[in-house]
Amino acid sequence: MLAAAPSLAGAIARVPTCALWGLETALVTVEVDVASGLPAFQIVGLPDTAVSEARERVRAAIRNSGFEFPLRRVVVNLAPAERRKEGTGFDLAIALGVLRASGQLRRDPEALCLGELALDGGVRAVRGVMPRVRCALAAGSRDVLCADENAAEAAAAGGTAFGVASLREAVAHVAGDARRPPAAVPAPGPPPRPAVDLADIAGHGTPKRALEIAAAGGHSLLLVGPPGTGKTLLARALPSLLPPLDPDEAVIASALHSVAGLVDPAHPLLAARPFRAPHHTASHHALVGGGSPPRPGEVSLAHTGALFLDELAEFSPAVLETLREPLEEGAITISRAGASATYPARVTLVAAMNPCPCGHAGDSAAQCTCLPDAVERYHARLSGPLLDRIDLRVHVPRIAYEELRAEGRERSAAVRERVAAARERMGARLRGTGRRTNAELTVGEIRRHCVLGPDADGLAAEAMRSRRLSSRGVHRVLRVARTVADLAGADGIAAEHVGLALLLRGP
Amino acid sequence: MIVLRRDDGRYPARLRVLSRPPETIWVEGDPGACAGPAVAVVGTRRMTGYGERVAREIAMACAAAGVVVVSGFAQGIDTAAHRGALDGGGRTVAVLGESIPVFLATVRGRRRPLVPRVRGSGALVSQFAPPVGPRAWTFVERNATIAALADAAVIVEAGVWSGALITAADARRLRRALFAVPGPLGSAASVGTNALIATGVARALTSPSDVLDAVGARAVTPAGPERDPILAALRDGPLGVDELAARTRIPLPGLSARLAPLLVRGTLRLLGDGRVGLVS
Ligand SMILES: Nc1ncnc2c1ncn2[C@@H]1O[C@H](COP(=O)(O)OP(=O)(O)OP(=O)(O)O)[C@@H](O)[C@H]1O
Ligand SMILES: [Mg+2]
Ligand SMILES: [Zn+2]
Repeated sequence: MLAAAPSLAGAIARVPTCALWGLETALVTVEVDVASGLPAFQIVGLPDTAVSEARERVRAAIRNSGFEFPLRRVVVNLAPAERRKEGTGFDLAIALGVLRASGQLRRDPEALCLGELALDGGVRAVRGVMPRVRCALAAGSRDVLCADENAAEAAAAGGTAFGVASLREAVAHVAGDARRPPAAVPAPGPPPRPAVDLADIAGHGTPKRALEIAAAGGHSLLLVGPPGTGKTLLARALPSLLPPLDPDEAVIASALHSVAGLVDPAHPLLAARPFRAPHHTASHHALVGGGSPPRPGEVSLAHTGALFLDELAEFSPAVLETLREPLEEGAITISRAGASATYPARVTLVAAMNPCPCGHAGDSAAQCTCLPDAVERYHARLSGPLLDRIDLRVHVPRIAYEELRAEGRERSAAVRERVAAARERMGARLRGTGRRTNAELTVGEIRRHCVLGPDADGLAAEAMRSRRLSSRGVHRVLRVARTVADLAGADGIAAEHVGLALLLRGP
Repeated sequence: MIVLRRDDGRYPARLRVLSRPPETIWVEGDPGACAGPAVAVVGTRRMTGYGERVAREIAMACAAAGVVVVSGFAQGIDTAAHRGALDGGGRTVAVLGESIPVFLATVRGRRRPLVPRVRGSGALVSQFAPPVGPRAWTFVERNATIAALADAAVIVEAGVWSGALITAADARRLRRALFAVPGPLGSAASVGTNALIATGVARALTSPSDVLDAVGARAVTPAGPERDPILAALRDGPLGVDELAARTRIPLPGLSARLAPLLVRGTLRLLGDGRVGLVS
């Protein structure tokens, strides 16, 4: 028997890093102990599959960077151990810890270390740098050591970011032999020019009005009409009407993109509200998020902005059903194998579809060839969960040739001003609630804020008495009417506001 | 379900004009509904808004004049005719292209709620023994039965291949008065009916009273032209809000103020595609 190894107290290396789960972050310390004993490399505090993968990458990267992997007993602990973590992004911290504990690195790494290692010792970008850097900032530490490709994102999040291409560069930086310069904070990108301006679209006064109401109040909108009448065009004009992204919203929306690995390195912070248009073949994971480790889906990537479902009837009903929770709650919780992650998902939903299977019901230029029952089935397929969440439904007819040529259309900029003014009225009303739009008014707030003028009250009362509206339907109409009034700068809701809300609510 | 053999006193006399009258017919409702003046109102399943309106107007005129409306309870024109007769407070007989139990077990959509109303006002009739289902040949035989049960037939809309043209041929062979509703040039749903008129096979129906005269009934106060421009614009089918604004020349703010009470009171309804239509 060998004698017990002498205690190596003080030889434990500690390297700061940050764990990610969903959008949650937590500071983690990588503790590395190199003790005498049979050569071994153990990692605790990570899920099993992630451990074996990290072990192989770290061992190869250290060797291939010209360092020695200690032929002793190496134990790595990611503390706190019980905290859920995604597996990647710790490689750099682990490798620096091993080098520090084995005496190959002279100084303690003090910066937040985020990076995955390639077998040749290269440092690779990881997802979720932005929220992890913000987490470190909140704990008072600012320096970040990460892959070159992540440096701009870390800097945009407020960190002092040092980008490295390899483990050797990281070691030289920490040891002070060759300090890397801090990455420049990327200038915020100019707000992208929206693809479509309202003035590009001929005719369609009512659909445009519905678009304005949706943009202002965050109400969901369904555009229905024959092929080629401009439904997709109208939906793509929505970004041109949305109010600018305020800084708090920009941070969270950008963090969601970061976690999904969708950051634009040149402009890591979003400059405009996102507009996401998933294809109708999108899986349920792609749409609402999922997987292990979890990733946000389109409905969360659209958070603070708009989600556009074109050709709505082509989406699988089962997939659409999964949108119910995020549309209702403004957030989606993904549960898998006992672990769950929550992503925000407050979106303005826009959807477009044809009125029937052949597309030509109500088309002045072509005859519908569908059997009446087939048209009913077509609508029934969509009814229930999703159509229940639609606040505005508007027909997009084929327009006359003269209208296509007509001049004097209102530009998006003018409408955007009305939208911004209406949003300000809503914001003042909802201050302190964390909610911003009329679409999110609670029943209590409706009672308080949707005060009806006498003639409007008569109309609403008649609608309720006639039982053509459920109480849920009444609330939906009142929220929309509130937005119509806000767009008109009116405090009270008049009959014309309720009238338009009723007309645009669909069956 | 009532089973009527040919020797039964309640067996409809008019069926005896057929070269091979059905040995047995099955009836739910009143077998007597097949007596008295009757007009067949039939047409394509793929109807237009125009066809739906005209079928309804003819059926309502029949109802007001006490004339039974006979049709085949198919989707489209047939259903519009039955519904028009019922909404007008009249009687209607549905002659099925399949046995009654099979029809009752499979009917869906907008026709389903009409079944008890048809049964209550007149009758469901079939010449097919359970469990015969719908087949091409059953519809051919059924169409002859429709022609036989009525004193006159109106083809509202029919494409080139429409089964309603078979009913037209049967009506002609049985020397029933035959009318076709003229349709817009270029409308696929009127190619067959316009051809019936052009070739002189059928008379052009210029008003519901044409067919009522032919069966010896008197038209009761034909409804005057619709005064409200909104309701008038919607007579030929539902319209989008902007289309309605263009037809009526009422711009949107005023239009929505006028539409809202009509929607709330149930005069108008909103369709799944956002169009506004008359409640029928
Ligand atoms: N109102 C309009 N004003 C200007 N251009 C239009 C209008 N409607 C259609 N267009 C033109 O027609 C093209 C097709 O329009 P769009 O793709 O929006 O139709 P759609 O309603 O989405 O059709 P589909 O049902 O086939 O998807 C557009 O790219 C545009 O060039
Ligand atoms: Mg499109
Ligand atoms: Zn169609």
